[in-house]
Amino acid sequence: MTAAFRNGRRGIYGLTGGAAAEKRLHTARVYDIIYKVFRKGGAKTGDKMNAIELKDVHFSYSRDGSGEEAVKGVTLSIEEGSFVALVGHNGSGKSTLARLLNGLLTPTNGQVTVYGVDTRDEDRIFDVRSRVGMVFQNPDNQMIATNVADDIAFGPENLGVEREEIIRRVDWALSKVGMLEYKNGTPFKLSGGQKQRLAIAGVLAIKPRVMVLDEATAMLDPKGRDEVMAVTRQLNRDEGMTVVHITHYMDEALGADRLIVMNDGAIAADGRPKEVFAQYGLLRKIKLGVPFATNVAVALHSAGLDVDPHIATEEELLEQICRLK
Amino acid sequence: MPIEVKDLEYTYSQGTPFEKKALAGIDLTVNEGDFVGILGHTGSGKSTFILHLNGLIKLQSGSIDVFGIKLVPDKKNKQDLRRLRGTVGMVFQYPEYQLFEDTVEKDVAFGPKNLGLSEEEVAGRVERAIRLVGLDYEDVRSRAPFELSGGQKRRVAIAGIIAMQPRVLVLDEPTAGLDPYGKEQILSLITKLKKECSPTVIVISHDVDEITRFASRIVVFNDGKVAFDVPMNELFRHGEELQAMGLEIPKAVRIADELRMRGIDLGDVVNADDLVRAVVRKFDKTGMDETDIAKLSAAQFDFDGLYGASASDVRSGNGGGSGEATA
Repeated sequence: MTAAFRNGRRGIYGLTGGAAAEKRLHTARVYDIIYKVFRKGGAKTGDKMNAIELKDVHFSYSRDGSGEEAVKGVTLSIEEGSFVALVGHNGSGKSTLARLLNGLLTPTNGQVTVYGVDTRDEDRIFDVRSRVGMVFQNPDNQMIATNVADDIAFGPENLGVEREEIIRRVDWALSKVGMLEYKNGTPFKLSGGQKQRLAIAGVLAIKPRVMVLDEATAMLDPKGRDEVMAVTRQLNRDEGMTVVHITHYMDEALGADRLIVMNDGAIAADGRPKEVFAQYGLLRKIKLGVPFATNVAVALHSAGLDVDPHIATEEELLEQICRLK
Repeated sequence: MPIEVKDLEYTYSQGTPFEKKALAGIDLTVNEGDFVGILGHTGSGKSTFILHLNGLIKLQSGSIDVFGIKLVPDKKNKQDLRRLRGTVGMVFQYPEYQLFEDTVEKDVAFGPKNLGLSEEEVAGRVERAIRLVGLDYEDVRSRAPFELSGGQKRRVAIAGIIAMQPRVLVLDEPTAGLDPYGKEQILSLITKLKKECSPTVIVISHDVDEITRFASRIVVFNDGKVAFDVPMNELFRHGEELQAMGLEIPKAVRIADELRMRGIDLGDVVNADDLVRAVVRKFDKTGMDETDIAKLSAAQFDFDGLYGASASDVRSGNGGGSGEATA
């Protein structure tokens, strides 16, 4: 344990400390060992492991659980290392679902487990939160320090990580999102895309296995969106980070391994993006758009041209139009 | 001339080490009935520019004339500013964050009350504005704005501006943060407001695919200057310039360019509707005539006539104005 915490001093970055942090550090370490054993076991059988499992999950915002449910019986497994896009219109329950994934909300009925840990187990909620990091919509609401490095250090510090390790993690996380040069700057002067990359770095610093982005691109301009998407894809590919990306932008869902569509608190469609976009009738009915190329192809198809409406990318659209020659 | 801006310059933190030139000589004329889309990346000066239209920034250099209300530097005239704010309705980004009253009705009434109108006049305008933005007046009037959904809140905020009956409506990123359906609703609402309330509309957007579906004219800001100002149907000629400024090329333009390289020339294409119509025009074997083709659309949603006017109505200049720069 660090001397800083034992002496009750504030952490190096001046934010927090104390006995509770020490206890959490202990729990986190024990959990790390269990996790490693667990993971090795999984590897032996050759099965892909599930990072998160939801079993018949219901959730209602009213205190006694009697009001209308925001999530109405969702059963779902999120495979480790996968890139999952989750879409749905406002009020479809997708943000509620995101908050259920790391125990910010716990189910009124049913069960959510993160690497085998039930999110309702209050003694282990920090295990859950250190496995599943969240990036939210508004970049300005996620900055807590006046200095970029302090901001990144906030998470690991709260988990009681040692000073040297925090310093290492700050540099590592910032370099992963391409923001190392801003280390000593202030977060408030950054662009929206940079702020969101900083928020991602803050999450990375707690070394989670899963990252949930809750409409993290919604308030960004196209350039900022591209930056955030590039960083996210890279983390998924190079670090094996499991990503749950919640978005309104259908074009962002194109590159995902899997696309889950939420409507009225339940899963309306689930599959590879192309398979899901093929159900464009359903997507329109539940007030969701389809990618630009799909939309144009559908319009051409219904105008009587020999164009396959079941396409999703611009390249496929080009091929379809060239075939008409 | 409805809006005439001449040689407008603006520098933030003038005379300090943080001095930053935001506008470096803007000349722009907007005609009544124009639907202007302003494009430009963050820091290009577009927001600084529209703040001037409403007198929210003190003029440093140049002149602004809005329906005869003339602004020049160092002239203090509260009366003019008040008239200007009643003439130009400004809807900021995320306007729902600015709702503050405890009922929808009071919130919408705030603007017209400040214009010094009679109580009956205010009440009438509030009811009309709330209905105009597609909300159920009886249902929402006494509700707290905070009980409403994000899209509804945004409409309440827009109603607050509409209630002042501005001749010019200026909106800064009106669809930011909304889901696709919410975006379409707001865009349809804007076309309806243009028809029924404020015939001149200026919209700032960073979504070029969205703006090309509605605007009749595109003004691109770069480095505090107007980089170019063209009717919508000529935007496709400026793809490379857009790219050089770090802006996106409309998807339909990109696809039409790619098709041209592969030996299919579709002619002038700016948005999804144009693309669909041009492809059908070229490859249709069923003998569709131009009237049939003009009806084709790539609209994602049908609002069952909730907002009346379709995008193409506005683009073809039925917005009640001169339509000088319309497609």
